[in-house]
Amino acid sequence: MRNAALWLDKKFGLEEHTIAHYAWVIVFIAGAVQMVGAAIRMAFGVLVDPLVQTFGWSPGSIGLAYALMSIVAALASPVAGYAGNRFGARRTMATGTVLFFIGMMWTSQTKELWELYVAYGLVFGISQALLLVPVVPSVAAWFRRHLGLGTGIMMVSWSLGPALVVQLLAVLFNTVGWSQAFMFVGIVGTVTLSFALLFFRNTPEDAGRIAYGTRGYDKPLVTKGNVFVSTQQEFQGYVYKTNAFWNLINIHFLGCAGHAVILVGIIPFAISQGLGPLAAAGVLTTISITSVSTRFITPILSDRFSSKTVMFVSFVGQGIGVFLLFTADSTLDFYLFAVLWAIPYGGEGTSFPIANRRYYGHSPMGTTYGWQLLGAGLGMALGGALPGMMFDITGGYMWAFGLSAAFSLIGAVSITLLETSNKQLIPDWPELDDAVPGLANDPGTKNEMKPVLNQTGSNPNSGD
Amino acid sequence: MKIAAQNQPTSGSSPELGPELDGFEIKRRPILGLGLLMATVISTLAMLIYFGAWASTDRIENRAFAAGAAESHVEGNWWEDGLIMACPLH
Repeated sequence: MRNAALWLDKKFGLEEHTIAHYAWVIVFIAGAVQMVGAAIRMAFGVLVDPLVQTFGWSPGSIGLAYALMSIVAALASPVAGYAGNRFGARRTMATGTVLFFIGMMWTSQTKELWELYVAYGLVFGISQALLLVPVVPSVAAWFRRHLGLGTGIMMVSWSLGPALVVQLLAVLFNTVGWSQAFMFVGIVGTVTLSFALLFFRNTPEDAGRIAYGTRGYDKPLVTKGNVFVSTQQEFQGYVYKTNAFWNLINIHFLGCAGHAVILVGIIPFAISQGLGPLAAAGVLTTISITSVSTRFITPILSDRFSSKTVMFVSFVGQGIGVFLLFTADSTLDFYLFAVLWAIPYGGEGTSFPIANRRYYGHSPMGTTYGWQLLGAGLGMALGGALPGMMFDITGGYMWAFGLSAAFSLIGAVSITLLETSNKQLIPDWPELDDAVPGLANDPGTKNEMKPVLNQTGSNPNSGD
Repeated sequence: MKIAAQNQPTSGSSPELGPELDGFEIKRRPILGLGLLMATVISTLAMLIYFGAWASTDRIENRAFAAGAAESHVEGNWWEDGLIMACPLH
């Protein structure tokens, strides 16, 4: 495998953008963790009918389990992020894997509604946070530069993976029943996660390697020991004192509330406008597929230019695009909306790791990112509830779509109030005294002077 | 801001010192960021109370209509009454 990667590097003359780097293994594992961790979350809709038929529970009471899981996962996100920083992403995700297994097995044996709430809502909800929050900061730790490229590739797998797994789950539910399907996915998922974690390393230093994009003049970063713990607490204290920390939580909440309304409401709205169920489902599929392109490109653009500008454009597009729905009444209108709206939607949430890097340098971003995911999770829960709520009140979806546009556009205004992302807001994360072994005298690497960061200078963390 | 980090043992067992941050300090409070977040939280809660009270009023009206009784004679659920009471516009 490594020989093939080295051959490709040589063939295409790749130096800094090498394929033969362990960071890509970490990105691949992050994609696999997301695929397994999020699959059941995405496929919850498939579970509702079998539970109604088996136990006679109302769809509303079953849906409450999903809402509970979403809120528990959101509330647990800051804790999961902190645990990833403090104890390492690998240990945190291993705990998440154990809870994933317990949650899946327990859900498969559920006989009472309260059991569903505890097994799926609570246990599975916590496992979601422990699996999905620490993995992004950990990927970031593997990229000294070009984090946008790593994030972009990870985000592509994050959107494609669940889409594939949901189809598989639907087939399983129909063939072996919901209970055995949950057991099957629980066992296969746990084995997959455990296997992936065998190869997972929290940091390049843990693996005895160097981070992707490390240059000859770079010194290794502090990643272990008492200094790591105390410095992390000190730096996190600085992070809490920046406007960007609180505003990014706010922005992620608004952005997710904005698109959750559309993702949940688009199919019933399309059907109410005369589209068949298949054509209506195709609108959502088109959104998923189209958004893959911007999920990939947006972090790269954020890394190369300004994450603040890229986020602003995404939010404005996501907000304005909703207005296409106000006049949509044909299949063409809906598919045109799907393509045009999905472009900014795909870029809405993918710039956050890059913004964190720009604002806070190489300091561990687990806690910070966990708080941002708290905002995102609550936004998704609110946005997911709004279409049904507004339909019950007004008999239509226009109010919900209006609110969606308002959330995104208010988010865009909030982005303009962020500090410039070309300036780091806290000091550089400390480095060790010695240069990275094996790179300092390597003729294949750029051996430039180390950029000195100051509070008014440009940001050295961009991929340029 | 330049930082001089102490040479870093990785065992985590020795009582080494942290980095010297050249007296770096953030004196300002994050008023703007916190204010925006609080404004969103309060606005969202207000919106939920308003629409929740609207939905509750509709539900009570529908039940009254179905029972052929006046609205004032139909009892709301605890959460319906709570939302209507919390909303100054309903």
